[in-house]
Amino acid sequence: MKTPKFLKILCVFLSLLMLSSCYSVRMKVTNGFGPELDDTGFDDEDNEDPARGQLFRTIDTIITVKTTTDENPVNIDACESGALHTVEYRSTFGGVLLYLVTFGRKRKMKVKYVCVKDQG
Amino acid sequence: MATTKTTPRERWNTIHKNGPFPLKFFLSTKMEKKNMMPNPLDRYNDAANEMRRLLLVASNQNHGFRSFGARWSMSSIAHQKDRMHFTANLNVKIAIQPSDMHGNSPYQSDNLHLLQCGNTIKETSFYLERLGKSLKASGASNGQTIAGCISTGVHGSGIDVGSVQDYVVGLNLILGPNPQDVVYLERHTKPALSNAFAAQLNARVIRNDGLFNAALVGLGSFGFIHGVVIEAEDHYLLSRHVIKVKKADALALADTLDFKNSPIKIPEKTDAQGNPLRPYHYKIYINQYSNEDTVPVELMYKMPFDPQYKQKFGNPIPFMKEFVYRDLIYLLVKISEKFPKAIPKFVKALSNSILPDENKVIVGKLSEIFWDAGYQGKAFACSFGVDHANSSKALKVLTDLTNNEGPVPGIFAMRFIQKSDGLISFAKYPFTCMVEIDGIIWEGSDKIISLEKYAQRMIEVLQQHQIPFTIHWGKNADWEFPGLADHMFGADAQKWMDYRSALLSQEMAKVFTNGFLKDVKLDAYNPNADPNLVADLST
Repeated sequence: MKTPKFLKILCVFLSLLMLSSCYSVRMKVTNGFGPELDDTGFDDEDNEDPARGQLFRTIDTIITVKTTTDENPVNIDACESGALHTVEYRSTFGGVLLYLVTFGRKRKMKVKYVCVKDQG
Repeated sequence: MATTKTTPRERWNTIHKNGPFPLKFFLSTKMEKKNMMPNPLDRYNDAANEMRRLLLVASNQNHGFRSFGARWSMSSIAHQKDRMHFTANLNVKIAIQPSDMHGNSPYQSDNLHLLQCGNTIKETSFYLERLGKSLKASGASNGQTIAGCISTGVHGSGIDVGSVQDYVVGLNLILGPNPQDVVYLERHTKPALSNAFAAQLNARVIRNDGLFNAALVGLGSFGFIHGVVIEAEDHYLLSRHVIKVKKADALALADTLDFKNSPIKIPEKTDAQGNPLRPYHYKIYINQYSNEDTVPVELMYKMPFDPQYKQKFGNPIPFMKEFVYRDLIYLLVKISEKFPKAIPKFVKALSNSILPDENKVIVGKLSEIFWDAGYQGKAFACSFGVDHANSSKALKVLTDLTNNEGPVPGIFAMRFIQKSDGLISFAKYPFTCMVEIDGIIWEGSDKIISLEKYAQRMIEVLQQHQIPFTIHWGKNADWEFPGLADHMFGADAQKWMDYRSALLSQEMAKVFTNGFLKDVKLDAYNPNADPNLVADLST
């Protein structure tokens, strides 16, 4: 049986959506005291992150807001220095889909960050 | 109080994955919080007490102990199989005041700063910049800690400046668990700080040029380096120029360092007679697989600081820097292992990413020019120090080896540094040329030479051609090569061990010994070392 044309188009559209909605962007400050280094001593052989050796923290959660409210900034209290050095925001297809089907009430948040090194 | 978290671990690795190495315990010390102990000197001394406690535990358990900072060394110099101590959180910085200075000090007090061991080059630079100061030199990047830099001899290509250890004027070492094991070393001919200041560190003072120079490049084995006093200078700018020149001219200049009479010239960097100025930095990039008769060279010139430099010359740090995908690099290396003859083609294909941009002048602070490293994956580097007069000869010997017995996935470069006073610094010649090959770690097989064999052959061919050499302590090498330390440093190798023996108790010398020290045969303890070696020669 021949696949209906609209299904083909839908498949192409979804594929493109999945491709374009799954990416990450990383930003860091150029000046400042530099990143907090990983002090756990845990060596992950497979860690190929270009910032390997820095202490990455991850927020992987779903924020829920009401239809009539918006989120306040997500508060981070892990940085002793009080400053962020690197932030990586990841967008995923699942996250975009969740946002769409819940009309923006649920927002997938996947952020990795490194604090600025605390000054002794 | 400073606290240490001790965690059982099975392995440890460097940033560039040159291990893994076996490990029993990983230790990480955190300073007391500032709100609980506001005075930085109190926090510093509090950490010293904690370090003495840790050394006692190691000694009581018959364990070796080694501190490390940012894991940048590619050799096993930072590794200790028993106890490894992470220092990057120990980062107090104290500006030296005029009242803290020794009466005969040749230094300006506003240039001197006491840095605790875990301060990285990056954070130190930022700290100094806010005071209108700058480091005199750094390595090619900024992630190393200050104690790691001096222990291994991190260098840039500051022809008339030297390596990181060369602007260290005082060392605060902790030699063991007892209060009297806290010492402050400096040169007796160039004292920096007063006895009263050393007393605030609870340290006994030893002013002794010989001992200081021995401890300066101490390979992490001269006790725990708790702090260093560095001499900074007024902030300045560097203008960086990359041009392609005839390979013969670049190498002739390497052999002479006679910039004034060289055909290599940056038009705007000449004297009144039109002769080239002597640069701050000179580096040659060489793709040993290319037959081109030109090579890119990098020249940097010091300029007075100008607060408007970004408006005038643009931002030295790009908005975004792109790098070749790591997976692509690893894939190319995997292909290279099967088909080594492809390596020269891969190097050529990647040359735009590996070699610096030409025709783009960049002006920035030292910390901006030698900025964050872009690549921190699997990497190797073999780096040999030769007298600059032997630069081209050494390069030919090593590139011939690479072409004849390789290829290997890396390319050569040459940098130049002024002689260091460190007794076993690899910058031991009046001007040392560091001939280095950097690349990606590969696995040897019957098709491609292994890194271990390649490193061994590099030593052999230099010896065969009677080119005296040293090796960068933090880079890959055949460190177990018979008689290597003696070959590199002659009587100074024994002298270094004598100074170490005189300074440390036999028990603590064992604690501060690691596999690397044994590999290079610098671990011998001389119980009869002359105690005068560690005498305070203060006048």
